[in-house]
Amino acid sequence: MQRRDLLKAGGAAALAAPFLHVRPARADKGQLVVVSWGGVYDEALTALVVPEFSKRTGWSVKFDAPPETAKVKAMVLSGNIGWDVVMTDIPAVLALVKDNLLEPIDYGAVDRAKLDRIPKELQQPYALGQRIYSFNIVYNTEQLPEAKHPRNWAEVWDDKAFPGGRTFNFQGGIEPQLEVALLADGVPLDKLYPLDVERAWKMYDRLRPMVSKWYTSHAQAIQLLAAGEASVGCTIGPRGITARRSGAPIGVEYNGGKLASDNWCLVKGVRNKAMAMEFVNTALEPKLQAEIARRVPYGPSNGGAFDFLSAAEARDLNTSPENIKEQFWQNVVWWSTPGPDGKSPRVAQAERFAKWMLAG
Amino acid sequence: MARAALWLFGGLIALFLVAPILVVMVTSLGSSSFMAFPPRDVSLHWYAHFLGSPQWIGPTLLSLRLAASVAVSATLLGTSAAIGLARGSFRGRAALEMFLISPMVVPVVVLALGLYFLFSGAHLLDHPLALWLGHTLLATPVALVLVRAGLRSTDRSLERAARSLGAGFWRTLRHVTLPAIRESVAAAAVFSFLVSFDEVVVAIFVGGPATTTLPKRMWESVRFETDPTLLAIATLLTLLAVAVLLLGAWLRPGRQT
Amino acid sequence: MPRPRVWRSAEGLLTLPALLFYLGVYLYPLARIVGWSLYDRGPTLKFYRAMASDPSLLHALGNTLSISLLSTALCLLLGYPLAYLIATAAPAAGRVLMLLVLVPFWTSILVRSFAWIVILGNHGLVNRALLAAGLIARPVRLLFNMTGVQTGMVHVLLPFMVLPLVAAMRRIDPNVLRIARSLGAVPRRAFLHVFLPLSLPGIAAGGALVFLLAVGFYVTPALLGGPGQITLATMIDMEITNFLDWGMAAMLGVVLMAVAGVLFAAFGALLGPRLVTGAE
Repeated sequence: MQRRDLLKAGGAAALAAPFLHVRPARADKGQLVVVSWGGVYDEALTALVVPEFSKRTGWSVKFDAPPETAKVKAMVLSGNIGWDVVMTDIPAVLALVKDNLLEPIDYGAVDRAKLDRIPKELQQPYALGQRIYSFNIVYNTEQLPEAKHPRNWAEVWDDKAFPGGRTFNFQGGIEPQLEVALLADGVPLDKLYPLDVERAWKMYDRLRPMVSKWYTSHAQAIQLLAAGEASVGCTIGPRGITARRSGAPIGVEYNGGKLASDNWCLVKGVRNKAMAMEFVNTALEPKLQAEIARRVPYGPSNGGAFDFLSAAEARDLNTSPENIKEQFWQNVVWWSTPGPDGKSPRVAQAERFAKWMLAG
Repeated sequence: MARAALWLFGGLIALFLVAPILVVMVTSLGSSSFMAFPPRDVSLHWYAHFLGSPQWIGPTLLSLRLAASVAVSATLLGTSAAIGLARGSFRGRAALEMFLISPMVVPVVVLALGLYFLFSGAHLLDHPLALWLGHTLLATPVALVLVRAGLRSTDRSLERAARSLGAGFWRTLRHVTLPAIRESVAAAAVFSFLVSFDEVVVAIFVGGPATTTLPKRMWESVRFETDPTLLAIATLLTLLAVAVLLLGAWLRPGRQT
Repeated sequence: MPRPRVWRSAEGLLTLPALLFYLGVYLYPLARIVGWSLYDRGPTLKFYRAMASDPSLLHALGNTLSISLLSTALCLLLGYPLAYLIATAAPAAGRVLMLLVLVPFWTSILVRSFAWIVILGNHGLVNRALLAAGLIARPVRLLFNMTGVQTGMVHVLLPFMVLPLVAAMRRIDPNVLRIARSLGAVPRRAFLHVFLPLSLPGIAAGGALVFLLAVGFYVTPALLGGPGQITLATMIDMEITNFLDWGMAAMLGVVLMAVAGVLFAAFGALLGPRLVTGAE
C-alpha cells in the first residue's frame, strides 16, 4: 500500500504531536461548567441563558456533554470535581442520589415567584426540573393518517385496527413503560399509582410480538417511524414535533402521555454552589424558557413561560395548559421507594426488563 | 472462468462496502434538518453548516491530529513489540503477548473508567495527552497483531544471511526485517489511525470541554436528534481519504508489490 | 538452529517500549478493574457468584460469543477470496479494491445505521427491488435480527481480515505455485496444499483481530439487532451508567477477558501454536 506516504504522514504527525499542547483542565475562577445532552438545546442555552447569567455575575459558562453518571461518580470518588451543574433525567438523578453524589438544591436561591409557577413534581430535593419531555404516542402519518391514528394507548396495543410494527425503548438499565401499559389495559389516568406491576407486565407480554424494533435511542425511534419500519411507538413527543416540523411524516398524540423532566443538579462538592444556583435561577426565568421553547419544542418547566407564548406556539408544547391536562406526571416517589429487598422499583423493574428481554 | 467468478464476487463485496456511503452521500444533499432518502431537494446546506461552524471544525481537527499522533505511537510500539516477540526468545513470551493484546478485550467503558482514575491522579483529565495515551493503548494491540502476522509470513533466512555477513542488529533490522514487513506496518498505521479516529467512550470519560473529539461531538449531537451535518462529514471524510490514497498512488507510479 | 546469543537478547528487548508503556498506562486501570470486581466494603466474591447464578448474564455472554464467532467466520468467508483478488490483481485494480475496503470507516456508526435502514428496511431499497422483481411476495426481515447485526459488523470488520490476508498472500512467491503446477498438481491441489497453508498466518491474524474486536462491539448489535442479540456489553453499560454498580461491571469485564483469552488460546491451538503464540 501507500507506505511511504503513510511514513511521511507519520513524520508530520510526530511533528504535530507536541502541538497537542498543555491546556488548563479548567479555569478555576469565574467559569462554570454546565453539562447537558448537547445539541440544539445547548445552543439555545448558550444563546439565551448564558448572556443573562454573565451579565448578572460576570462569570462565563463552558458546556460539556453528555452527563454520564459514571463520570460524576468518578469525579466525586477522585475528588476531582470538573463539573458544576448537570442536567439529567430522573432515573439518573435517583442513581446518583443513592450513592450520595449530588448536592441538595438550595431552594432559597431561586426566586419565589418562579417556584410558584413550577409544578411541585419538579421540585425534588436534589433535582429541579428545567425541560419537560414526555413519552407519547408517535406515529407515521403515511401508514396511519391523522384522521385515523391511535388516540390512546389501548389503540397502540391494537394492531388489527392500527396495523404496522410497534417500536418501544429498550436499553440495558432503563425501566419499562409500565404506566403506559396500564393505561392500555384501561386503568384510569388518576388511578395509576401505586402501579399494578404484574398487570403491566402482562400487557408487555402482549406487546412483544408486535414490536418490530426495541429502539436504543430516541433518535433511532424517530428514524424507524419516519421510514415506516414501525407505524406507531412510544417515544419522546417533542422529538416527534421537531421531526414533523422539518418535513418527516410523523404525528404526535399527547393523550395519555407520561410527563418527565430533565433537571438541574449540582455535583457533590461543587466549588461554588451559590454561583451554580444562580445559573439555575437564571435558566428558570420564564421569558428565557419561553424563548428556548420557541427554538426547541420541549415543555418549559416554568408555567409562567406560557405568558410569553402565543396560543399557536403553545399548541405543540407538552406542558401547555391544553396538553398537560391529558397527560400525567411520572411519580418519582413510587419509582424511588425501596421495596422489601432494598431495591427501588427503578432498579428492580429495569433488571426485570433486561431479563425479560433476554428470555424472549 | 474461475477468475471471472472471482471478479463478480469482488464486485458484489465492493457494492456491499460502498452502498451505505452512497446512501449517505445522496442524503447529504438535502437541506431538510430531517434525514430523508431520497432527499427532496439538492443543496449544500449541511456542508456549509459543517464548514462554517467552529463547533464542528475544532473537534474534526483535534481528531485528525490525535489520530495521526496515535498512528505514529501505536505503530512504533506495536511494531517494535511484534519484532521482539517474533525474533526474541525469552521465557514467558506467550504470556507477554497475551498481556499486550489484552486491552482489546477489556470492555472499553470499564477500561475508560480505569483510565479516568489514572489521569485524574496525574492531573491530565481534559488534556489531549490523556486522549493520546488512552487511544495509543487501544490501538497498540491492533498494530501488534498485524505486524506480528507480517513477520510470520517473512522468510527469516535473509535475516540470518545478513547477520552472517556481519551486518549488526540495527542494520539488519533496518535493511532486511523492516522492508520485508512494510505492508503490515503500513496497515498497522492505517488501523491505529482509525481506532483513534472512531473512538468515543474514552473520549467521553477522560476528555472534556477543552478536548471534544469529532466522535464525541457527533454523539452529543444525536442525543437530541439525528443531525444531517453527520452526513456531510461522512461524505467529506470519505472523499478526503480516497483523495489522499489516490494522490499517494499517483505521485508514486511504478512498482507496487 | 543455533543462533548467536546477542541476537536473541537484543531482539527480545524490542518488547520493552510497549511493556513500559503498558506498565505506565494500562497496569493501574487494570488493577482498579480487578479490584472493583473483588471488593465491596471488604474482599468479596459476590460479583462472581452473581454471574454464576444469573442465567441472563450467561445468556448475554453466549450472545456475545456467538455473534463474534459468526462475524469471524463470515469475514473469513468473504475476505479470503477478496484478499486473493487484491493480492493477485494488477496493482491498479488491487489498489482500487483496497480503497473500497477502507471506505466504511469514515462514516460514523450513527449515520451508517440510518443508511442500513434505507437499504435493508422493510420498505428499503433491497426489499423494494425484490418485490418489484416478483422474487418475494412480502418484505423479508433483514434488520433487527442476526442478519442485521452481521451485516453491520462484517461491513466494518472486513478490512481487519482482508489486510493481514493480503499482506500474507503477497509474500507468497508466485513461483511456488507455478512449480507445484509444473510438477503436475491441478490448480485446486496447488491451492489447497501450497497456497492455503502459506496464507495461514494471515488467517490467524485476521481471525484473531476480527474476533477480539467483535467481542468489544456494543453499538452495532444494539442498533441493528433484536432481543436475541443483546450482548454482555449492553449489560456492562447497564451496570456502569444506570446502576453505578462498578463491581458487577468490572466482574463482567474480567469474565469477558478470561473467556476471550481461553478462546484465543484454543483458536491458537487449533491452527497450530506456531501461528498464535509464535514459537517459530
